[in-house]
Amino acid sequence: MDWVMDRDFFSASDICAGYGGKEIVHQVSFGVEEGSLLGILGANGSGKTTLLKALCGILPHKGCCTLDKTALDRLSPRRLARLCSYIPQRSGISIQISALDVVLMGFNPRLGLLEMPSAAMKEAACRALALVGLGGWEECSYLNLSEGQKQLCILARTLVTDAKLLLLDEAESALDFRYRYRMLDILRDWLKKGGRCAVVTLHDPGLALNGCDRLLLLSEGRVLDILSPGTDPLNKMEQRLKAIYGPVSLQKCRGKDDSVHLVMLKEREME
Amino acid sequence: MASPTVKTKLLNGAALFLLLILALASLFIGKYPLSLEGLLAGDELQLRVFQTLRLSRTAVGVIGGFALGVAGFVYQTVFRNPLASPDIIGVSSGASAGAAAGILFLSGGAAVTLSAFSGALLAVVLALALSSLDRSGKNSSIVLAGIAVHALAQTALLCLKLMADPERQLASIEYWIMGSLNGISLYHIPGNLLLCAGCLALLFLLHRQILLLSAEEGEARMLGVNVGRLRLFILLIATLTVSSVVSLTGLISFVGLMAPHCARLLTKSNRPGTLLLSGLLGGSLLCTADILARSVGSAELPVSIFTSLLGAPFLIFLIIQGRQD
Repeated sequence: MDWVMDRDFFSASDICAGYGGKEIVHQVSFGVEEGSLLGILGANGSGKTTLLKALCGILPHKGCCTLDKTALDRLSPRRLARLCSYIPQRSGISIQISALDVVLMGFNPRLGLLEMPSAAMKEAACRALALVGLGGWEECSYLNLSEGQKQLCILARTLVTDAKLLLLDEAESALDFRYRYRMLDILRDWLKKGGRCAVVTLHDPGLALNGCDRLLLLSEGRVLDILSPGTDPLNKMEQRLKAIYGPVSLQKCRGKDDSVHLVMLKEREME
Repeated sequence: MASPTVKTKLLNGAALFLLLILALASLFIGKYPLSLEGLLAGDELQLRVFQTLRLSRTAVGVIGGFALGVAGFVYQTVFRNPLASPDIIGVSSGASAGAAAGILFLSGGAAVTLSAFSGALLAVVLALALSSLDRSGKNSSIVLAGIAVHALAQTALLCLKLMADPERQLASIEYWIMGSLNGISLYHIPGNLLLCAGCLALLFLLHRQILLLSAEEGEARMLGVNVGRLRLFILLIATLTVSSVVSLTGLISFVGLMAPHCARLLTKSNRPGTLLLSGLLGGSLLCTADILARSVGSAELPVSIFTSLLGAPFLIFLIIQGRQD
């Protein structure tokens, strides 16, 4: 099945990647339209993180990625960082550094080697921290933040990069219920500015079904299907999700504002 | 309570004041005591001691200690390892082997300095070249290459010691390895100190890039950093800084380890102010150790005895504090 369209803003074609000579992701192809959010769902070890690392060039891979007609695979780290920003599952920062300084790192692709961030950049970094709910935490050491706050801080860093493509690797994993949806709202607002798209791997299928425009289902490093939760029939989605999570059922619920939400329930395994 | 920036400024002010006091003390304390009155009165002997011995010794103590503190900060941040030091990529052992070769085959203090500097530089170039064979560009490959170079340099040093005349040359090699600021001539230091000052200025300018290297490699790359090239460049500059000092003084332990730790414990940050404080504390420590080295015994003692005496308890304190955390 061909999941790449000509109108796609970002496309990945025949991506193969792995570690130590062992291929984990096999010929994955997909596209993301401008302004849309693609979620990647898959069981543990299905290759979600490997795929994301290959897309942003951290991991050597076969295949090619194109963003707004620009091939990403041969770009220098600096040019790549201007176009594409990546949030890892957990940041590797291990020294005492303030939350503000962590966010200011996001401006690096726009600064010269010896250049320092301007006052306007510092203001923008403070605004980004306030946006993710960390206003007032600017001078707090990044290491002293909770895991959830660290993820929000890295999200703020990603937002200031002004990249066209955001890649988020389970960025919701340490966030509480409220901030998981807050993160998605922030992403949605960010996408509305135009000329942007985002790819996010998620552990929470409920969040993915209600927050993403399309869902790529990954199983053993291959694309199982790409769903559109807003339009695909429930029974089709149930069948596809069953391949990842076992027996599940999907139901539509209405919120107090009459908006429709999808709820996934785990069904009993049949003998 | 003062803001972190104000606190760091106050700490730097206090450390600068302490360093100035120690530098002044270093100028006047020693086997041949100097006095301000004597110098102002134009006492020829006092002036000669001041110009040829004390001035150079104090300059090397202040700038050398400052350089070791700053370089230690850089090594620890880039390697993401609180115990990292110039030894990690074989600088000290390369300098020792170079100095031993100078003592054996060349004549004169300047030749030994140049030979030690060449040994340190050769060790670093070899370590970086070996690590570049591993195209993954990981920190661990540089560390492994450093261990290999360190072992090679130690073997070379052992061979040179075996060849040395036990009466004079072997003692000179051992004394050099123990480190001392004694006998550093004013005529030997300008080149080293200029190189050291240039490298230090560059390290301060590169502070933002040094912090970027503290992130994981993939993360730093996605922040637009060419990790492999930048790390090699910064390590080369930090190593040149250390080499320019140890080629004059011999090996000096613990300054590069202690000063950045103290600075971080005091400021709880890694901003440029902390880098500066690492340098000021490094200078203060080396000056203190040097004053003690020339005052405690009847003969001049190696400076590393005192830096280690101060450093070892501090390291134990760090380990205990780490366990409590």
